[in-house]
Amino acid sequence: MIKITDLEKYYRTEEVQTIALNKLSFEVKEGEFVAVMGPSGCGKSTLLNILGLLDDPDNGSFIFNGIEVSGFNERKRANLRKHNIGFVFQSFNLIDELTVFENVELPLIYTGVKPSERKKRVHEVLEKMQIMHRRKHFPQQLSGGQQQRVAVARAVVNNPKLILADEPTGNLDSSNGNEVMDLLTALNEQGTTIVMVTHSEHDAKFSHRIIRMLDGEKVTENVLV
Amino acid sequence: MAMIRNYLKIAWRNLRRNKVYSLINILGLSLGLSCAMLILLYVKDEVSFDMFHENVNNIYRVTQEKTINGKLHKNGNSGYLQGPRFKQNVAGIESFVRIQGGAEDIKKDGAIYSQKVLRVDSTFFSIFSFPLLEGNPKTCLKNPNSIIVSEDFAEKQFGRLNVYGETVMIRQDSIFTPFKVTAIAKNSPQNSSIQFDVLLPFKVSVEDANNDLNWYSYFLNTFVVLNPYSDKTDIEEQMQAFYEKDASGAFKSMIERYGGGQDATMGSYLLQPYSTLHLDTERPAQNGLSNAGNPMYSYILSGIALFVLIIACINFINLTIARSIKRAKEIGIRKVVGGDRKQLIIQFLGESFLLCFMAFAMAIIVVLLVLPVFNELSNKALSFSYLLDFRLILAYLGLFLFTALSAGFYPALVLSKYNPVEILYSRFNIGGKNYLQRFLVVLQFSLASFLIIATFTIYRQFNYLTNADLGYDDSNIISISKGYISKDKAKLFKNELLTDVNIVSVAPNNVGHLWTMAKLANEEEINFSYAVIDESYFPELKIPIVKGRNFSPDHPMDASKNIMVNQAFVEKANWENPIGQTVNFFYNQNEIYQVIGVIKDYHFLSLNQKIEPQLFTMISNISFDNFDIKIKPNSATQSLKHIEESFKKIFPLSPYSYVFKDDVNKEAYQAEAKWRKILLFGALLTIFISCIGLFGLTVLSSEKRTKEIGIRKVLGASVSDVMNILSLDFLKLVAIALAIAIPIAWMASNTWLENYPYRIDIGWKMFVITATLVVIIALITVAFQAIKTALANPINSLRNE
Repeated sequence: MIKITDLEKYYRTEEVQTIALNKLSFEVKEGEFVAVMGPSGCGKSTLLNILGLLDDPDNGSFIFNGIEVSGFNERKRANLRKHNIGFVFQSFNLIDELTVFENVELPLIYTGVKPSERKKRVHEVLEKMQIMHRRKHFPQQLSGGQQQRVAVARAVVNNPKLILADEPTGNLDSSNGNEVMDLLTALNEQGTTIVMVTHSEHDAKFSHRIIRMLDGEKVTENVLV
Repeated sequence: MAMIRNYLKIAWRNLRRNKVYSLINILGLSLGLSCAMLILLYVKDEVSFDMFHENVNNIYRVTQEKTINGKLHKNGNSGYLQGPRFKQNVAGIESFVRIQGGAEDIKKDGAIYSQKVLRVDSTFFSIFSFPLLEGNPKTCLKNPNSIIVSEDFAEKQFGRLNVYGETVMIRQDSIFTPFKVTAIAKNSPQNSSIQFDVLLPFKVSVEDANNDLNWYSYFLNTFVVLNPYSDKTDIEEQMQAFYEKDASGAFKSMIERYGGGQDATMGSYLLQPYSTLHLDTERPAQNGLSNAGNPMYSYILSGIALFVLIIACINFINLTIARSIKRAKEIGIRKVVGGDRKQLIIQFLGESFLLCFMAFAMAIIVVLLVLPVFNELSNKALSFSYLLDFRLILAYLGLFLFTALSAGFYPALVLSKYNPVEILYSRFNIGGKNYLQRFLVVLQFSLASFLIIATFTIYRQFNYLTNADLGYDDSNIISISKGYISKDKAKLFKNELLTDVNIVSVAPNNVGHLWTMAKLANEEEINFSYAVIDESYFPELKIPIVKGRNFSPDHPMDASKNIMVNQAFVEKANWENPIGQTVNFFYNQNEIYQVIGVIKDYHFLSLNQKIEPQLFTMISNISFDNFDIKIKPNSATQSLKHIEESFKKIFPLSPYSYVFKDDVNKEAYQAEAKWRKILLFGALLTIFISCIGLFGLTVLSSEKRTKEIGIRKVLGASVSDVMNILSLDFLKLVAIALAIAIPIAWMASNTWLENYPYRIDIGWKMFVITATLVVIIALITVAFQAIKTALANPINSLRNE
């Protein structure tokens, strides 16, 4: 599903150029659950943004679903993204002015799904995330665990092929964290490919494979299953 | 649809959540818009003056231009001959109408009152579009004893509207004659230069109609209707050619009789389009025409409207960007879940339209509420129905689109550009150096400072005009006007008045209306105002005599050979020793008069005019037309009773009315006093709206620098340190704005003041006051947010890191 080859990304300020990704190459197959680990600043998040088509690499190739996407313009990237990729962030990133229902509905609006179908799908996914009873609440009225479940619901409501999770348990206590990890595992078992960036060895163990990075390069790769 | 609903929902919830911001933003814009709307109404009214006549594009007023002593004089008036003679002899002139203003004495239930009337030719209703409630427009003016009355007059005179065929008693010489009502006209529209309550048929004697010398009298308005296919210039040339031929004899005899200056010319006849008459200040509406306008007010108001609107739009842009920091996360998320830039642009433009729509709706309400006050101030009768004009609605729509687009477009473009990665990972820094916003603040404050200085100048000048020392004492003086009072009658009336102890003195006079010319001893001609007075005039008005003596009954020659002049006369005549100098009234059998005294200049004309040379005489063959009666302070009630009784005793057939001289003087500058208020209001509004904008910018800046300020505070910065940091940036911008505005405002003010012969000195103080004012206001505005930021707990701002 994902194949990156010699991927490079630099960050430039007026005087200094830092390498975030240095000739990084790896592949993720459909249905895989991959964890990316490494110390702060090793390029994990940069990698995730490029995989999520939020950012552009400076060099190298990125093939998504058999298509070379590294030269795509913003509109093409947005289009590909909204149909294929769901995001889960450490800080949930829900829109404060929208209710739980409306937050989860948003990706469906952007992909042009009909209202009746939207309502059905949002209800389904909220049931699945066991947050249906909170659908009329605003994000500030929920606990951290509940907010992250809403975020996961929003990420999966469009049935994406790929979920990118950036430290999904980073802001949660262990029991809420485990619940989220269980949700992701269940999604993976239903066929969704997951790439997760994490600092937590405990979370990483839920994956099939761990890629460890340092200074923008891949150091090791451990297969767990 | 769903997307739009989603946008609306977000926009509405944002508005509700940020009530202060929303209120400020909508209020600012709606104030700007309502100001622009009101002024649009005013300007529309001014430019549409007289345009309601169906035939307006073919109606012209006959006017004249003449160069006298190298100076071009324009004259909008004409006399008996121009209309009929031009119509008969110039191809292309289809008809004409003469309009002469005046007053007639009318009797009602035994009482006599003076009524303003217009005497007009019978073509009046076929040329102008004044609808009649009853009566035949073609024939109603044919009979010399017919009268056409307005709705108002019918109500006043008869208490009802159906007065067709009724009789109105009008004095002809000393007999009251019946006039038959042959038509009732609707009241004249307020945006008409012709205003009438009573129309009477035009009167001219056969001698006058045939006397060629009447080419040279100008006391009425002649309008002509041109054939729609004719060329105005061609007709003017024909008129000129005919005039030069027809009037050559009369011109020669005029020159022989009166002289005519070094380069006497016959002058030229021109046509003034009726549609431009209202705003023509060189050939204004007078002698029967009213409501003379001044385009200066339209310009000033349009300037204010434009400034306020620009400033309000700038605010809207700046405040929206300021708020956008809080919206950044939402933008990031929308992009991540699939929103593209186009959709975000639509969303933010949509929000701008929504806000603008609310501001617009509020502006309409504000206009409705403020309209009566505005009417009062601007001396107009604009109504809400006036708003429902197709072109005005288009203009408002244009205004709406312009404001919504210009206010929404920049935020829409800037906000939608944010990189979601940077936003969601808090690496995001809004707007870089904000050059555009800085430029907008400078522009805004330049406009505001300019307007403040301009307002100060205009305010002070108008204040000067309203309060200036006129050079005489107008307190406790009651003036009574009555035409053609002979010397004997005047004496009788004066003696009768003085029998009451409350009457201090009585000064019959005829000042300020008559102008003439005479020759000095060195044969040079001099133009001056010719005033007939008696010996009480100067002492009563406390006008000082600077040289020589006052008139006195003890000197018999004072009543026949002696004159007095003002200082302006002495200066113009270039006399070193005025006393004993002579003036030769060469056209009056070379009568020679001798100067016995010089009075200090006083403003016998409006302060908008220079004090002209003035000559005073007690010569008995010219009648008085006014009595200035000085009464003891606080004796008005008794004095007025006695004055009325005396008047009715001496002049039983004349209408009696009186005015207080100081009231008349105050009223003369009423327009200026009103404009002073309008301008002050405009300037306050501009400052207020500018402050709203500055407030928004401070919010933006302090939010942008929250982290920096947090760190500074952790490291030991005090509240005042933080305030300095936040305020200094803006004060720099305000200083730049002042540096730009002051020289421009100085030049503009000076140019404007040149219109006034008596004017204030601008001086440097006004600029210092303006600069201080602007800086203080800016500081207060900035301080509010700066204190809030400075007092905030740094932990809150740093925790996100």
